[in-house]
Parts: sequence; C-alpha cells; structure tokens
Amino acid sequence: MGMLMDPALGRVIERCRDGDRDAFEEVVDRYGLQLLRTARLILRDEALAEDAIQETFLKAWQRIRSLRDEDPGPWLTRIAMNESISSYRRRHRFQALTERFGRLSTAKVQSSSEARLDLAQALDQLTVEQRAAVALHYYRDLSVEDAASALRIPVDTLKSRLKTALRRLRDLTGSEDTTA
Amino acid sequence: MSDRFENDLRDHLHREAEETRELPRRLRGRIREGIMPRHRTALVPQLALAGALVVVAVAVVVFRSPQLVINDVRTTITKVFTSPTPAPTPQPFICQDVAGGSTGITTQLTAVRVASHESEGYDRIVFDFSGGIPSYDLTRQPSATFIRDPSGQQIQLDGSDGIKLVLRDTDAAAGIPGGSKPALPAVREVAQVGNFERVVTYGIGLSSSQCLRVSSLASPSRLVVDVATVPSTSTTAAPTPLPTVPEATALPGFACQDQAGGSNSGGPMQLTFIRIAHQAAGYDRIVFEFAAPAGTTPHLSAYTVSRQASAHFVRDPSGQAVTMRGSDGLRIVFHGASATGSYGGNADLTPGLPVVQEVGQLGDFEAVLSWGAGLSRASCIRTVELTGPTRLVIDIQTP
Repeated sequence: MGMLMDPALGRVIERCRDGDRDAFEEVVDRYGLQLLRTARLILRDEALAEDAIQETFLKAWQRIRSLRDEDPGPWLTRIAMNESISSYRRRHRFQALTERFGRLSTAKVQSSSEARLDLAQALDQLTVEQRAAVALHYYRDLSVEDAASALRIPVDTLKSRLKTALRRLRDLTGSEDTTA
Repeated sequence: MSDRFENDLRDHLHREAEETRELPRRLRGRIREGIMPRHRTALVPQLALAGALVVVAVAVVVFRSPQLVINDVRTTITKVFTSPTPAPTPQPFICQDVAGGSTGITTQLTAVRVASHESEGYDRIVFDFSGGIPSYDLTRQPSATFIRDPSGQQIQLDGSDGIKLVLRDTDAAAGIPGGSKPALPAVREVAQVGNFERVVTYGIGLSSSQCLRVSSLASPSRLVVDVATVPSTSTTAAPTPLPTVPEATALPGFACQDQAGGSNSGGPMQLTFIRIAHQAAGYDRIVFEFAAPAGTTPHLSAYTVSRQASAHFVRDPSGQAVTMRGSDGLRIVFHGASATGSYGGNADLTPGLPVVQEVGQLGDFEAVLSWGAGLSRASCIRTVELTGPTRLVIDIQTP
C-alpha cells in the first residue's frame, strides 16, 4: 500500500490532475534532484541521466491522473527506474555498434579522490540492473521490498542482484567480507 | 547486518550523488517545454505557410493601391495601441483553501496592492515578487482574528471572516507597509501578521465569508488573489477553523544545555522544509518545518537537541560514522517524524554561516528522524516551537 500524501502535497497533485503546469513544476522541484542523483549513479553519465529524468517527468505528466491518494515519490521512482534502465540499454546497443567502428570510447565518471576512484571504477563494471539495485538499497536506503517494487522484480531477484553486485565490488576493489 | 564495506559503499554513493548539487535549469526547461500543449509545435509549419501567403497577398494589394493600405494600417495601429489589453479568461471562484507556488526558490515580496473591481464582482489583492512566486497557502477562516508569528499574540482585523496567506522562503522588502484598511466591499483590511525566518504571513479581514480566485502573472511575478464581493453560498468546503490561540510568548534566552520538547500526541509528522540563515541579532537559525499527514492533527513531534564537543556523528540505523564541518555539533532527533517522500531538499547542507557550517540528515528510520549540525565552535542555543505551519526553530548563538 502506498504512503498517504500530506494535505499540501495532495492539493498540488490535485491541481496537476486538473492540468495545472505550475503545480507540476512544483512536483519536479520536489522530487527532481533525488531522482536525477539516483539516475546518475545507475547510468554513470550525466547527459543520459538528465534524458532519463526528463522522460520520467513527461510520462508522469501524461499519467498523473492514474496517481491516487498515495505519495508520488515511489511512483516516480518506478517510472525513473524503468526509463533509466531502458535508456541505458538503448545507449549500450548504440555504443556496441559504434565501438565496433572505433568511433566512441566509453566515458568514465570523474572522481575527486584516489580512494573513491577504485570504488567508482568498480561500480562502472556492474551491470545496469545491479547498479540500480545497489543505488536504491544503499543510496536511497530503500528496503529490499521497496527496491524490488521500484524495479518491478521479485524480492528474491533483488536480493540475488545485491549479493552478486557486492561480491563483484569486493572482488574488484580487493575488499574482504567482514560480516559474521 | 552491514559490514564496513557496505558502509563504505553507502558513503561513497552519497558523496558521488551529492556532486549533483541541484536540478539543472536546462533540465527544468526541457521538462517545462515537454509538458506544453503539443499542438503549438505541430502548427508551426502551417502558421509559417499562412504567414507567407498573407505577405504575398499584402504585397499584391500594396502594389495595386498603396494609399488604401497605408490608411488601413494606420487605423489598425491606432486601434491596437488605444485598446486595453484583453483580460485572460476569468477562472471560476472557489470556496476552499488554495495552495501553490514553487518550492526551492528564494524570492522577495516587493509590493502589496489592493483595489476594488466592484462592477466585476470582486476585490483584488496583488502580491509582487522580485523572484518567482514562492510556495504559498491561502486558508479561509470564519473570523478576522489572526495570530502574530512568532509572538503568538492575537490581532483583530476589520471584518467578520478572514483569509490567511503564508508565503514560504520569502523576505519582505524594506518599505512594505505593515497593512492597510481599504474598506472595500469584501476586503476590509490587509495586515502583515508575520515575517519570521523567511515565512511571511498576511491576514486579510473580510466583510463576510467569500470565495476566492487565485492566479499567477509574470514579469514581474505576481500572485493575484481575487475575493468575490457576493457572499459565499457554497457548501463545498467549510472554512478552516481557527487554530488554537497560544499564549503570547517572547523569545526565550539562550542556554548552554541540551533542549527537548514537542509531544507524541499524534501520528508521525512529515518534514517538508529546512531553512538555515544567519540573523543580524547575533545567531544562526535552523528551522525544521513539518506537515501533518491527511487525517492527523498537526503537532511538533517530541524532539531533543543535544550539544556535543565534536562534529562526528553516527548514522541511524547503519551506525556509519559521519564527520561534518566544524569542531562542535548538535544532534537533533525527532521521535514520530519522517522525511521520506515529503522532504525534497538537500540532505547535506553547507551554509557556511558564522557558526553553523553544515547540516545533514543522519537517519530516517522507524519514525525517528535525526539530523546533525556541524558548528565552528561550542555555542549556546534556544529552541522555539511554532504553529501554522508547524516548525521547530533552533537558534545558535554567534560570537
């Protein structure tokens, strides 16, 4: 069951349903930054993340009438995850073609410290699905149930992706498992 | 259970995410364009073609009888410049509370004007802003009695009913009059009843219960509130009852000890805004603003503000260590509150004030909301609890 909205937010959503674009910009202001940050962590590319979040809000605007008395945050996250992973796959197909002809090279995320570079590079090596699971669980602090719901996958699949992702990150960074 | 690697990963992800400090303007613009009606762009080729045909037709007429065309053009120009600008299609009046504006912007209220449009059936109040239109609430009430913010003192305006306007993240420009008594058919009095920690509040005294129409205009940004001059007969929404009037209070003195307050009298409150600013009176101020979920009573959740001799904190529930800027700190914990889904601001703020160096969220778990503040020195503090909207104000003394 979705979280209920606070009354002020409920009024904003009601205005969105009535076609009020100013109200929708308020929704963009409220959730945009967090969604963009999550998308950047998953996609490792600023421009691609912005495209995904643009598409997220355009689809949200088109579907705003389907949103009932629940917090729009999880709903927007679900759309954003779908858009992020879809746009990554489209880009990846294009890159595979262009790299074959030697026109493009994969851009790396710049890091500001040597210690972070290792972990940042290791994150680059995960699949987009694994990064989405990691970002939702470890950055957004979503429970495995909520993260699975956002990605529209079973909880066991989410757990499996997290486990695989952590093992790979540990391998790539040379870290040891210290859990009991 | 989280191990050190998972904590490092969590920390790394937060640092990497916070490299994106704000939603880029270009992205906002693209989204705004994207939600505009599509038919406008679809019409561009047709409009261009129509324009070209008009130009050709005019050229032919000018060639055949130039004086006739010059006279027509002169007449048309005269009409355009002497006719009033057509008013936008009026929206219907509604008999309920209204909210709107944009969050996350900083703006200044520069003027307030009141005028009668009696022949059209309404009185108009216009609020001018130097930036955009801030987040606002217009709340109807069955009385012209308002409560000053933050003193809590009552103020009685002219009239029998009222509207309360709350403008967030707003400063009032110097020179704005504190109020006026236009004695119009509907609007009897307009008074500024609060201007405190960037929340500006106006009370509007009405001759009777009236319906509203609110619109926004640009260049400059204006919030236009039309109040119908015909008494409301609608039963769609009863005016919001007056909040309980607190006793008048003065700001308490600073104390060099931990503070606590609030209550557990209702459901979990939701954090909506945090504001941080230096006040010339000699303190930095942090404000936590909350909203009550639907069907629950607004109240300030039970809280503790604990002073500490370092800027090291521990995240809840991960146990991960966090070091903020500064040498001292405050840990602020609300029991029965959450920021999930309600707070869209930055979870790590670095205002760089004289004492408050950094403010960051430490936890939001099981309805316990924790924030930390890194301070440049050990300082005495005071807390003030405010209503309408529900706020906890923490003042930190500066040298």
